[in-house]
Amino acid sequence: MTEKQFLDQLNTALSKLSAQEREDILQDYREHFAIGKADGKSEEAIADALGSPNKIAKEMLAMYHLEKAETNVTAGNVIRAVWAAIGLGFFNLIIVLGPFIGLVAVVFAGWVVGLSFILSPLLVLMDAVLYPGTFAFFDLFFSIMLCGLGLFIAIGMYYLTIYLTRGFIHYLKFNSSLVKGGLKNE
Amino acid sequence: MNVQFKKGILEICVLVLLEKKDCYGYELVQRISDKIEISEGSIYPLLRRLTKEKYFTTYLQESSEGPSRKYYRLTTKGKDYLREQMKEWREFTNAVNELIEEGDRND
Repeated sequence: MTEKQFLDQLNTALSKLSAQEREDILQDYREHFAIGKADGKSEEAIADALGSPNKIAKEMLAMYHLEKAETNVTAGNVIRAVWAAIGLGFFNLIIVLGPFIGLVAVVFAGWVVGLSFILSPLLVLMDAVLYPGTFAFFDLFFSIMLCGLGLFIAIGMYYLTIYLTRGFIHYLKFNSSLVKGGLKNE
Repeated sequence: MNVQFKKGILEICVLVLLEKKDCYGYELVQRISDKIEISEGSIYPLLRRLTKEKYFTTYLQESSEGPSRKYYRLTTKGKDYLREQMKEWREFTNAVNELIEEGDRND
């Protein structure tokens, strides 16, 4: 691969990044080629030692998505960061995707329980309207209690979701720092 | 050598080299790849990440031969981080060595 081919491939693979950031990255590799050539090496030998531009781009993109997920916690950003981290290697498929699915399931279940508790008085009222004969105060009071409980669960889930998301992004960062620096025998 | 293993080590290598003196990317790559077989291009993502985390600062310096070079300098935060990493590294290698020696004695 020539220097131009290497830089073009890297540039294409990084098209998601801002022009400025991309230019900054490409400049590092241009400098590397320039010094290598001054050192008497051929473009092909330098490109070969650098490794695959696509693999390099993957690491850069994983970093980019992680940063975004950290500064702007939205479901989309977090999922993109998870996906990018998985893209770094099979290793991550297990240690990233596993905990991620687990966390999402816990959070989802918590919210479902909280919300359905909150809405339970509505069900009793609906029941009373549809089948007037079956109305029982016990049901009503019980559902009001559930509603209160649901409110507490929802408040708890609100904080838990925030903490878990933050913690998970932290974990992703730790994980991708472990995986960063792809090596030859990969 | 195990791939995951080497990846973590690369970070320590870069930090240790920069503690001795400011270096430019190519120089770091050469000094590490002299000793450990790495995919050289992957040092640059590492350098970017550690710079963004404020462990390094960078500056450009003209060179008599060829283009100006981007030098990396370890910050105070970077030095603290290096010490922390070194401590973990020593504990880790000591533990592994102990296990290996125990294994040898049992043979």
